[in-house]
Amino acid sequence: MWGYIFKRLVQGIITVWFIATATFFAMHSVPGDPLLNDRAVTPQMRANLEAKYGLDKPVLTQYFVYLGNLSRGDFGISFTQENRQVNDIIRQHFPVSAILGVLAVVFAAAGGVLFGALTALYRNRLPDYIIMFLVILGISVPSFVLAALSQLALVNLNSLFATNILPVAGWGTIRHMLVPALVLGLGTMAYLTRLMRSSMLEIINSDYVRTARAKGVPPARIFARHQLRNAILPVVTVLGPAIAAITTGGFVVELVFAIPGLGRYFVEAVQQLDYTVIMGTTVFYGAFLVFMVIVVDVIYGFIDPKVRLE
Amino acid sequence: MSQVASAVQPQAEEPLLQVEDLVVEFDTYGGTVQAVRGVGFSVHSGKTLAIVGESGCGKSVMVQSIMRLIPMPPGRIMAGSAKLRGTEILGANIIDGKDIRGSEIGMIFQDPMTSLNPTMTIGDQIAEPLQVHRGYSYRQAFKRAIELLEMTRIPEAAKRARQYPFEFSGGMLQRAMIAMAISCKPAILIADEPSTALDVTIQAQILDLLKELQSETGMAIILITHDLGVVARMADEVAVMYAGKIVEHGTVDDVFYRSAHPYTVGLREAMPTNDPARQHKLEPIQGSPPDLFAPPAGCGYCPRCPHAMKVCEQSQPERFYLLGEHFSRCWLHHPMSPQKPESLYFKDAQQ
Amino acid sequence: MIELTRNDFDPIKSKAETQGELRPSLSYWQDAWRRLKANKRALVSLYLVIFLLLFAIVGPWVWRVDPALQDLDQVGQAPGVDRRAVIIDEYAPWDGESAISGFSGLRLSAAATTQAVRLNWDVLEGANGHRVYRNLFPVGPELAFGIPIAEFFDNETLFFEDRLDVQPGTYFYSIVALDLQSKITSTYESITVSVTRVTTLAEAIENKLVPEGAFLQSGDEILLALHPLGTDYLGRDMLARLMAGAQVSLFIGIGAPFLFVLFGVTFGSIAGYIGGRADQIMMRFADFVVALPFLLFMILFKISFGIGPGESGVFPMLVALVILMWPATARLVRGQILQIREQGYIAASQLLGARPGYLILRHMLPNTMGVVLVTLTFAIPSAIFTEAFLSFIGMGVVPPTPSWGSMSNEGIKYMLISPHELIFPALLISITVLAFNLLGDGLRDALDSRMRNFE
Repeated sequence: MWGYIFKRLVQGIITVWFIATATFFAMHSVPGDPLLNDRAVTPQMRANLEAKYGLDKPVLTQYFVYLGNLSRGDFGISFTQENRQVNDIIRQHFPVSAILGVLAVVFAAAGGVLFGALTALYRNRLPDYIIMFLVILGISVPSFVLAALSQLALVNLNSLFATNILPVAGWGTIRHMLVPALVLGLGTMAYLTRLMRSSMLEIINSDYVRTARAKGVPPARIFARHQLRNAILPVVTVLGPAIAAITTGGFVVELVFAIPGLGRYFVEAVQQLDYTVIMGTTVFYGAFLVFMVIVVDVIYGFIDPKVRLE
Repeated sequence: MSQVASAVQPQAEEPLLQVEDLVVEFDTYGGTVQAVRGVGFSVHSGKTLAIVGESGCGKSVMVQSIMRLIPMPPGRIMAGSAKLRGTEILGANIIDGKDIRGSEIGMIFQDPMTSLNPTMTIGDQIAEPLQVHRGYSYRQAFKRAIELLEMTRIPEAAKRARQYPFEFSGGMLQRAMIAMAISCKPAILIADEPSTALDVTIQAQILDLLKELQSETGMAIILITHDLGVVARMADEVAVMYAGKIVEHGTVDDVFYRSAHPYTVGLREAMPTNDPARQHKLEPIQGSPPDLFAPPAGCGYCPRCPHAMKVCEQSQPERFYLLGEHFSRCWLHHPMSPQKPESLYFKDAQQ
Repeated sequence: MIELTRNDFDPIKSKAETQGELRPSLSYWQDAWRRLKANKRALVSLYLVIFLLLFAIVGPWVWRVDPALQDLDQVGQAPGVDRRAVIIDEYAPWDGESAISGFSGLRLSAAATTQAVRLNWDVLEGANGHRVYRNLFPVGPELAFGIPIAEFFDNETLFFEDRLDVQPGTYFYSIVALDLQSKITSTYESITVSVTRVTTLAEAIENKLVPEGAFLQSGDEILLALHPLGTDYLGRDMLARLMAGAQVSLFIGIGAPFLFVLFGVTFGSIAGYIGGRADQIMMRFADFVVALPFLLFMILFKISFGIGPGESGVFPMLVALVILMWPATARLVRGQILQIREQGYIAASQLLGARPGYLILRHMLPNTMGVVLVTLTFAIPSAIFTEAFLSFIGMGVVPPTPSWGSMSNEGIKYMLISPHELIFPALLISITVLAFNLLGDGLRDALDSRMRNFE
């Protein structure tokens, strides 16, 4: 198991290197000189940037300087905000996105497993139909529409009860987080519900559940010990990509709900063509996602004895 | 029929399990399938009843419906009764508030590779019925599971009990399945094609193991198979099933040497033998079983039967008792039939 | 027991030979098609998909309205709104003279029209000037006056003419007294104004609403241009824009999956067929591409392609989607090819002297087609979502090119006033995604027996 984790970490580092390289060359193929645009680059900033990256040197030299900085965990200085470290920007804004993302992932995974199991157990009966209808909505309605609609609903709800329990926008308390996290997690939850349902249905009809019933095991125990654990396995395997989808899907939710997360900052940086912030955020997100996938795989290993023992 | 049956010396003891007139249907997209059409049999302690028949004849559905293992819906038990020591168990499987599955009746299945939970250790799975039915603590149950694995001749049982199904071979898994099924010392063991998915040498070992365990514990075995060789090796009594009905029933000798149904004869002629005196050309049975979406009015075997008569197409044959408990559902045994049933009985002798 | 006669025991001929397979044999695709047709949900989605394609391709030929044309008479108009307009004279400047007399306080000086709303008022108590507000809602207890549209710092001017984008409907005008510091006080007056839609003859002729030289007088009613689904915030016809947007969204949504599935199939089948070290390296590369944070790189590629003025940004998005989305298909196809390679009929074909190209094209690819088709169907909704998502955050198709995503982005700003600007494009996205998802489900079920064997 430890060997496996080590191997995955080494693979992860190579993957992050690939992401960093792809980011570097994608940004360097942007037409025009980043510093010659009609933008307020003070001589001070220009000097700083040139010292940091050797912008007048050949691309390959810049690339190695960039990699060297990265390996020390240094993402550089912002192009548009004088002498502001990209690291500081990430440190300030990422926790907000992370909290939102964690809430959404928890919501999506718990809801997906619960609803998926329910629909399978109540197959072709009313709870199944109701949940599957909502799932189809969750899959086919874009997140920005959901975000807008839920915001509209919040406005009406708050004015109806003359309260502000669930604020329409902003950030700070758990009350600010609930609705955005729900909106963010809903699409993934719908997807996980479908996956859990089909996996559960397969297992309900499996030979080993029949064996358990032939042993006279009570239904509740069959559900807990034989069905749930096996049905969750496929859900866990897609949790890595699901986390990726949720973290990057956070952009829209952060924009609509005016949440000061890294996603919204990234969109602003792109609009202002703040190269270092764009690169730093991309590599940071990439590394984060690679790490999350490894974590999910390791967790999977602990659940599935086949992987754990090999 | 009753006039013939009265001549029979009834078995002294009450049967352990008595099944009567069992009818099972399935709703499918194509319509309703009558999988089991009025089956009855009885099982006695220490004896083995073999139920033989080709794929799709309803033999697995029959025992699984007794154990309430068929999915309901789409499955449906339409009629019949199953009495364990005189208590009705059909549709409930509960005596005195306790589930008899796993405690009174154990069951093993055809494919041991898929019939065990892949994420639970073998030991835990064997221990489970003891915890559920006998109130053992986990420790006690696991200790007993190791003993059971030893009983089923699994080497290094203590180590093996902590392993997962994917670390076992097919034959080993089937031994573990048997250990699990007999963990609560059931009165009856239902073995649904226990050796079909295994290599021939392993098959023999598993069957021997079942026989040994039977003589040790005195349990009854219901053995479902399509392999006449297995029947000859294991069974005391044989029931031949065709198209959802038992068409012939008797002792092994009755059914093998005095076959009274053309289907049984057909099965035997399709089976190779290593007795040079009885060697013959293997004859397949032509055609295929009837469509059970629309069961035939008469005998189900009629379209494939070399002895078919008009009456066979029109009405179901009753049980015609021949000698003792031996019966056959075939119109040839009707007193008015011109063809002599002896032509079936002693076919081998004539050759 | 039934009475039997001797006759009943006459032998009959065995029918074993006549009992054969009665169902006609179907090819793989015929069988799949038969199953798909039996699946109502899939069939309905198939019709929906066909309808959407017709909407995008044939639609603009039927509804020949320029999606970029602005109808300034009808801006942000909901569908089904009254289209009548009254002809009035050309606009003439106003000196504050009231046409209606006999009222005091805040009052209209003439009938309120979309051409102008003319207000007169008397000096408010203690006022040192007045500020004029316009609102869509009544003032209410929390004194919400709406948007300020004029301010007068003395009591000389007691009239105002509102010509700022007046739409037919109900407005609430207020004047609020200003104190000596020009701050508003709590003294105010408010009136409710219902505005009628008007147009001049010259405008009507220019917009081709009436034939040239038509004889119409002031007060006559005419009908404005028809917009079945209303107009957007710039007065552009929603239906025409939705059709143009459908072309962009469906072109990206269907074109990109086609291209990357094609690339994925090629890449995967080569890797799977060659096997060994080359396969390892090729798949390792695919793993790297999968690890790139998808949406961030979509944005990154969009910047690095550099969209010049006058370009729509459709092509960069297409390329970015292909670059980032092919590995899933490649992995799948490789897995299939690896399994098929072990099948007996491949060995048989090789024994007969088949060459690799023949093996791949004749045996391997046709056997993966079912899986590829299902992948393609599921890739379409995800591509459509991606386009909508990026256009929504302003990183996708560049305005004025319409796409459903960019239309939603514009619509969300006017969500409270004219919800149809958000609802229609959002609804189309949802229907398209739903239709392709259900069709994909149906296809997978129809091809299932085969796919199971490979899993």
